[in-house]
Amino acid sequence: MPIPFPSDAWAKAFQDVLNSDADYARVAVHWEGDIVFLFEPEGAQTESKALYLDLWHGKCREARALADPAEKKAAFVLAAPYSVFNRIVQGKLDAMQAMMTRQLKVTGSMVVMMKNVSTVLRFVKCTTLVDTEFTPAIRG
Amino acid sequence: MTAHSRLLTVDLSSGHIGEMPLDPSLLRDFVGGASLAARLLYPYLVPGLNAFDPAAPLLFLTGPLTGTSGPAVGRYVVCGLSPATGLWAESNCGGFVGPEIRYAGFDGVLFTGRAASPAYLWLRNGQAELRDASHLWGKADTYQTQTRLKAELSEPLARVACIGAAGERRIPYALILGDHGRVAGRTGMGAVMGAKNLKAFAVRGSAQPPIANPEVFKPARSRANVELRQDNMTHVFRETGSAGGAEYFNVIGAMPVRYFSRSGFEAVSSVSGAGMAETILSGVSTCHACVVACGRKVTIPGGPYQRPEGKGPEYETIVGFGPNLEVDDLGAITHLGQLCDSLGVDTISMSNIIGLAFMMFDRGLISAADTGGLELRWGDARAAEALIRMAVSGEGFGRWLALGARGLARQFGAEEMAVQVNGLEVAYHDPRGVTGMALVYATSPRGACHNQSDYFLVEIGGTVPEIGVEMLDRAGSSGKGQGVTRHQWWRTLNNSLVLCIFANVPYGTALELTNAATGFDYTADDFLRCGQRGWSLKRAINNRLGLTAANDTLPGALLTPLPDGATAGVVPDLPALLADYYAAQGWDAASGKPTRATLLSLGLADVAADLWETET
Repeated sequence: MPIPFPSDAWAKAFQDVLNSDADYARVAVHWEGDIVFLFEPEGAQTESKALYLDLWHGKCREARALADPAEKKAAFVLAAPYSVFNRIVQGKLDAMQAMMTRQLKVTGSMVVMMKNVSTVLRFVKCTTLVDTEFTPAIRG
Repeated sequence: MTAHSRLLTVDLSSGHIGEMPLDPSLLRDFVGGASLAARLLYPYLVPGLNAFDPAAPLLFLTGPLTGTSGPAVGRYVVCGLSPATGLWAESNCGGFVGPEIRYAGFDGVLFTGRAASPAYLWLRNGQAELRDASHLWGKADTYQTQTRLKAELSEPLARVACIGAAGERRIPYALILGDHGRVAGRTGMGAVMGAKNLKAFAVRGSAQPPIANPEVFKPARSRANVELRQDNMTHVFRETGSAGGAEYFNVIGAMPVRYFSRSGFEAVSSVSGAGMAETILSGVSTCHACVVACGRKVTIPGGPYQRPEGKGPEYETIVGFGPNLEVDDLGAITHLGQLCDSLGVDTISMSNIIGLAFMMFDRGLISAADTGGLELRWGDARAAEALIRMAVSGEGFGRWLALGARGLARQFGAEEMAVQVNGLEVAYHDPRGVTGMALVYATSPRGACHNQSDYFLVEIGGTVPEIGVEMLDRAGSSGKGQGVTRHQWWRTLNNSLVLCIFANVPYGTALELTNAATGFDYTADDFLRCGQRGWSLKRAINNRLGLTAANDTLPGALLTPLPDGATAGVVPDLPALLADYYAAQGWDAASGKPTRATLLSLGLADVAADLWETET
């Protein structure tokens, strides 16, 4: 059954995908760093939302929606309007393209990000493997 | 109206120094930089001209943004005829020399003739003189030349562009170096300086480049700089340099290994920008007015390549002396890059030539008997160092290395092995991983160049939606003729402004800044048309010099599928790409020339007459 995006349930479903993905486990074996997805207000979505993921050595140790986007100071923050995240998770927008065209703002160590590009690519791919229900008004 | 709108002209044969006003209509149609250079040099670049003839021109030229407070606008171009290709030559360079030319009261300097003995030009606040450089010729490398000239002129803040031993000896891939490590590396402009007995060009000034509408320009450039500071790519370049993308290009098979015969370099993170940041990086450096700071400073505290803080290598140098030769020691790569800079040779060409030599040795086409006893083995940085010294000295095996990859391969009956196009060695973006680069290399006016269009960035997401350059299937060919065409026009504008392509400045921002600086009020379409005009003019120059559609090709190595790795089995469909491309450019597919209609539509009637005068 499709899971609404973004939501706490979606974060946990994504955690399950990551933790069952052999390719992610292999390429992310050296990854240490938590990530926040920060959804910026857009259209009818007037409030920010945030999902938190604690990633460690190829596993996702914790995944949840944050009540307050400022609750966690993560190593990486990926910030974008809802529609941009939607298009990435639907596989319609390449995450690197979103980053290079200023649609997705990335905060954190670029040294770590660029060195672990295989991890990043597989991580993004895994977002598309979640059975996701997108908000119609911001389907992207 | 832009700038001072005048060139300094220097006839090295007679010693006459004068001025040439720049026609405002040319400035409007060609913007500046390389496109304007093409228009100005068109009368000089005629069939039969040799790059080393005294009559061959050498033009240092800036653009309307150079030296302003806009983002990443510290570059200038050096243009002429390439001794490597016999075709149009342009090479642009960062640092501070370009802005200083404008501070000195000119938009550029046109050299012709040949000095009777080694000389250098000293330009200070509108006053220029030729001075003797005999004490530097054969005695000072590119770094020493800068230091000694500044001391001699008692001008520690002067900017110096100069050549090293390679330029003096007319090695066809000799570079021009300034600002302690910024180079105009490609197409052998250093050799042309050498042929003119011109060791250096020193410049100092205090004038401000004129801005047509400062009240518009100032807030626009402030906004552009703020946006650029916040840009993701700025952070990537600042933290990891231009080699920050090495791991990504390695993953997708776009980073060549073992002279383009493999993909996938196991030790990529030992040599990448990220790897450098975690090991030998000790600082960063910038060009004029740049918030990106992609320049690397490295310190190697011990080991065989120990050195105090100095310039660190960028992507091309890293891949050329690293994965291309299977060297995984960043200290060694730094050393080889610095050696090339000090001797004055382009690292892309030099490392490509060495890769070819290693490959020829590996395949038994040459032996130690040919190399003066030197064994050439993959991964051997000391052998690479020896080859660099041989090439610049021109002694022994070096006389073949000094010919470039095409000449070296031809000498040993292995021309097809040379990974070059029209005499310029291919840079390190494998078109089997990013197929649009097949078109870029095949059609670049200066040979296999990655900077006339860095379409490899489009292939990973660096799209330009304002002009319809979108991301397509990396391994496919469909639609890329159109995409590469428009991207080349955009980058032609970059090379006209002269705006660094490492700064992720959107098309609309560049247009806004240009309009404010020039007062020309281009529309978005006008602006791109200027790019098209410059691009087709360079093509026409090459057509007149003998280039045809048959030259739009790639070496066999890049059209041979790799058996494994990320790009296993992939080769670009070059005929299909070219057919699409000629149509998009408005070029005649049979001859490879811009059609008469295209040239006329671009306001190039004289060029149309020259190219098509014998046609019906």
